[in-house]
Amino acid sequence: MSVQPAALRRAPEREWLPLLAPGILGLAAVTLFPGLYLLWMSTQGLQVQAPGGFVGLDNFRLLLRSPGFREALVTTLIFVTASTAISLGLGLALALALTEPLRGRGLMRTLLTLPLIVPPVVAGFAWKFLFSSDVGVIGAFLLPRLGIGVAPLGTPRLAMAAVVVADIWSKTSFMFLILLAGLQAIPPFLYEAARIDGAGFWTTLRLITLPLLRGVLVVALILRVLDALNTFDVIFVMTQGGPGTATQTLTILGWKIGFTYFDLGQAAALAVFMMLLTVAAASALIQRTRDAV
Amino acid sequence: MRSDPAGAGRAAVLSLPRQAAADVAAQVQRRVARLGLYAFLLGYLLFILFPLLWLWLSSFKTRQDALAVPPRLLFSPTWDAWEKVFTAGILQPFGTSVLVATSNIIVALGLALPTAYALARLRGPGKERLAFWVLSTRMAPAFGVVVPVYTMMRLLGLLDTRLAVTLAHLAFNLPFAIWLLMRYFEHLPPELEEAALVDGATRWQVLRFAVIPPALPMVVAVAILIFVFSWNEFVLAFILTSTEAQTVPALVASLAGTMSFDWPLICAVSSGAMAPAFGLVFLVQRHITQGLTLGAVQ
Repeated sequence: MSVQPAALRRAPEREWLPLLAPGILGLAAVTLFPGLYLLWMSTQGLQVQAPGGFVGLDNFRLLLRSPGFREALVTTLIFVTASTAISLGLGLALALALTEPLRGRGLMRTLLTLPLIVPPVVAGFAWKFLFSSDVGVIGAFLLPRLGIGVAPLGTPRLAMAAVVVADIWSKTSFMFLILLAGLQAIPPFLYEAARIDGAGFWTTLRLITLPLLRGVLVVALILRVLDALNTFDVIFVMTQGGPGTATQTLTILGWKIGFTYFDLGQAAALAVFMMLLTVAAASALIQRTRDAV
Repeated sequence: MRSDPAGAGRAAVLSLPRQAAADVAAQVQRRVARLGLYAFLLGYLLFILFPLLWLWLSSFKTRQDALAVPPRLLFSPTWDAWEKVFTAGILQPFGTSVLVATSNIIVALGLALPTAYALARLRGPGKERLAFWVLSTRMAPAFGVVVPVYTMMRLLGLLDTRLAVTLAHLAFNLPFAIWLLMRYFEHLPPELEEAALVDGATRWQVLRFAVIPPALPMVVAVAILIFVFSWNEFVLAFILTSTEAQTVPALVASLAGTMSFDWPLICAVSSGAMAPAFGLVFLVQRHITQGLTLGAVQ
């Protein structure tokens, strides 16, 4: 942080208020106010049939006891773990590959950016189209030829694998770009030195690349976990949580509770739970890096 | 990679035939590694591009061609699906998406620029707390925003309006813009500002004439990322709208959810939804990393 020059320091703090206020008030209106309103909602009985006023923590109690919630929590953990691990690993491999001086490197970097700005809904639909057992290149053509006669999106395990594939398609590019930026920030002379010392690819990766990339890896991991926890679009378009409840993550369950059964009190309780989960995930990851450094 | 000082150094020590054999082995190994690298990258590119290409191709098929198994690579292309996009009244969501995205750019930048500048220049624990609060609001789960916003909009009679979607998107775009611009302004050299202040300029004039011009590339990058967020966002737009104010992702999802699949039509709409992505990808690659990591990676 640079030292403040005299002319700037002379300015009284009050002078900043007119610049600060509109944005801060606007932000409070669109985030703080809904947040408090959400907390209030989670303590209200808001079912369509029986609006019941203040109910204390009943919404939370009912939610935590319901088998649907526990199942969705497990499904979410499986989805988050699989999608995060694979997209982070693939992103790292791609970033390492594209720091090598290869022909067509610039074009490949650009093309790899593409899924990042394709709407996830479209990504979900593109994969639903491929996996469809009626018309899909994979679901109706390739899989039957390999002797797999089941519908990918109609079979619990395969449906989970399918939504993970679509999510990886959509989100690996982001991991790739972050990690590429991280790799480019490592001073090249370290690699020169390692090569002169006769270190091979794996030794260099273990002793130079990964330790120096740790900060960036943690940022990537945090952003990816938070994003995967909230995934809705890809799953909604491909399976709507099905077959049965095989791909029903917390957000999908919340949508069902709030907007198909219209129990907004319990949906609010679920939303509060997800907020807490988000905070916990973020601070656990941040804490772990502080310990590791 | 091409010159090998380690190998050259060793050459003096090793006897000639052994050294030649080792050189050949190393060269073969390097070739194989390089081939593997290309195979991996091309395989991944195929994984990325095939779904998009197939979607786009299928938008030129008749319903019969799209339903054919084995899939038809050769078919007589038709504009049927695209014509339907223009005639069946499903062009409106594209207009809505553009409107929501543009109003988000204008409002978010209008509010964020002065606030980010003030935050960048203020010091002390109060500033740190404010900045942390701004960042933490950006991390909020979308579902946690949509439940209260839906209820409030229902009370206000604003469900299924463009205003509702615009306001909901601001909950994410505004903290995003404030945080990124703040981080950028913090690193701007203060000499210009100082000179302007000495000449008697107000803070607003300093912002307008000494801060925004040098930060223009970043302002443009933030505007593009706001556009991408609003254009792609689904859960808020989907829950807050039904027919009148549907955005493009909500349209794609509702078409894909109907039982009588008109595959070519959904493919055409999806291709249209990807158009900005293809337009922007060459522009944004440089800025997008810094933007999307909230400046955590330089």
